[in-house]
Amino acid sequence: MKLLEYQGKAVFAEAGITVPASRLVTVEPGGTKQALRERTAEAARELSAEGADGADGAEGAEGNRHGVVVKAQVTTGGRGKAGLIKTAGSPEEAGEAAEAILSRDATVRALLVEEMVSIERELYLSISVDAPSARFLILASASGGVEIETLALEAPETVKRVEVDPFFGLQAYQSRGLAFDLGLSGDTAKQFAKVVGALYEVFRSRDAELAEINPLFVTSSGRLVAGDSKLIIDDNSLDRQKEFEVTREQFGTETEYAAALEGIPYVQFEGDISLMCAGAGLTTTVYDLVQFEGGTVANYLEFGGPNYRKARRAMELCLENQSKVILIVTFGTIARADVMAEGIVEAIAELKPDRPIVTCIRGTNEESATQTLRDAGIEPLLDTEEAVRTAVAIAKGERQ
Amino acid sequence: MSIFVDETTPIVLQGATGSEGSFWAKHMIELGSNVVSAVTPGKEGQELHGVPVYHSVRRAQAVNEAEAAMLFVPPRFARDAVFEALDAGIRRVVTIADGIPLQDQVQIRAAARAAGAQVVGGNTSGVISPGKSMLGMFPYWIERVYRPGTVGIMTRSGSLTNEVTAWVVAAGFGVSTLVGVGGDLVPGSRFAEFLPAYEADDDSEAVVIVGELGGSMEEEVAELVARGEFTKPVVAFLGGRTAPSGTRMGHAGAIATGSSGTVAAKVAALEKAGALVADRPRRVGELLRSVAA
Repeated sequence: MKLLEYQGKAVFAEAGITVPASRLVTVEPGGTKQALRERTAEAARELSAEGADGADGAEGAEGNRHGVVVKAQVTTGGRGKAGLIKTAGSPEEAGEAAEAILSRDATVRALLVEEMVSIERELYLSISVDAPSARFLILASASGGVEIETLALEAPETVKRVEVDPFFGLQAYQSRGLAFDLGLSGDTAKQFAKVVGALYEVFRSRDAELAEINPLFVTSSGRLVAGDSKLIIDDNSLDRQKEFEVTREQFGTETEYAAALEGIPYVQFEGDISLMCAGAGLTTTVYDLVQFEGGTVANYLEFGGPNYRKARRAMELCLENQSKVILIVTFGTIARADVMAEGIVEAIAELKPDRPIVTCIRGTNEESATQTLRDAGIEPLLDTEEAVRTAVAIAKGERQ
Repeated sequence: MSIFVDETTPIVLQGATGSEGSFWAKHMIELGSNVVSAVTPGKEGQELHGVPVYHSVRRAQAVNEAEAAMLFVPPRFARDAVFEALDAGIRRVVTIADGIPLQDQVQIRAAARAAGAQVVGGNTSGVISPGKSMLGMFPYWIERVYRPGTVGIMTRSGSLTNEVTAWVVAAGFGVSTLVGVGGDLVPGSRFAEFLPAYEADDDSEAVVIVGELGGSMEEEVAELVARGEFTKPVVAFLGGRTAPSGTRMGHAGAIATGSSGTVAAKVAALEKAGALVADRPRRVGELLRSVAA
């Protein structure tokens, strides 16, 4: 689960990492532009009032009392380039910034209005896992503010690594050493080591897949402030991470949100063919084959594994798309073909889909699956590539 | 079974007394796997398909010493069960659990490395040598997938493996040992770690890798091939050639960011090392014919 910036920052702040003072402005569905402008301006006004009397000192990172940053709360990267982060010198400008952001992306559900921090320099810090070594991996750089992939390519010598043994845990000398390796000294080095410790605590206690602060600001008065947060909670740990809930604002579309609640792996695309397949690897391969054949994908959806009895719900999700055809490909062994075929036939009977369905269902008890589909008037295919070509031809209007 | 375990290797089952575990335990035994004991806390004294059940792995080991453990325990108990097996001296473990917490997986792999053990999984069907034995859940009665033969298969997927293996069989080959390392971000064992066994295995003439985007396991195979440490023919099929960057495609491990973890990078590394890469499952059979009898 990818947390939004403000959610991640709340976790950081709780762990003792300084974040800029902020207000969250939610975007009411169906609300007027005027109302959004006013509420954003009000948030900015509140922040500068706080800055003026020095309130909220725990969070306050010596904000410029007039300036704010308005940031779209979306989980996609590259917000700056996409025009989803804007600075504003006054509350009125903040209101205009909010409107401009929404005109760029109407799906934005929340805006974070933050005090502007006076920045001396920007660092990079992240914790993730290193699969081959089975260690937790801390990466840091004195050249923050750009994506780590870019940094690793363009200035690999600036990226410092520390590997943490998952049983011994992070040691103080490791955080300290990392600070010195970045060329930090004095109080800044001490603060940095503390931030590393706090972020490690967040990473471990929240079962994170990634905990990243980029940029990590060093302010003009020498304080370290998290300029952004990227906190991805491991989906397999959500059972024991009760504080995090799947919420609508984490998703671009209603369908993605509905699928997540259902536990059905689903990715939204904008093409013609809805994939309703079983098995992650096979679905990914069918996605490739559709592209090879000149088709486009409307959605990736998996109803295999524990979801193999959920054909009806899976088909319902596909039907929410503007796709032209639903392509069902499975090769299940534990997830039995006959059970899937029965589920599909029932789903078709109940949902009466308004678009053609191409099936290619193989695996355990496939003879019975084929018969079930035939009895329901579907001509089942048994070759993946043939099924893909058929779906692409239907999507292009070359056949029914 | 020549890779990982063979038909003589004594096996202990953990958490197999539930309905799913019991179903597959029965098939393991029917195929020829040498199951000597089962462990379910609180059920000592019972029997599972004629196999005695014990409270703990240590108690089972005291009676019938196993060398491999097959775990049917749910994801949230997988770490504990793996540690229990390792603690009892077992050095080959398969855990099929789908959904093991990531940081548990890191500790599982770290503990295995420290103990000099090999843990396969999670999120896998396990390991099978068709016609001989298996540690896992494979419907080996499906002839067009699980035909015995001379091609070793290593995979990160389930259904995709069936798709690819069906083409291997259609091309006239069969399977020596199939190892599912699983689809997680941190699998207990990695592709390259099985190559020495395949190199030494007289039953395997070639190896097929069923990989996908994300991680670096395919690159590690390429490295061993390039260094001349694996000399048998390698044919790979990798899913996710056209997957958009930054999008997770199903498996936790199937995500490419920037230039890392892309199929393009994996294909380049494998081809440079001399491996053959199929662009679609059907081609795997054709490529195998070009390098193996």
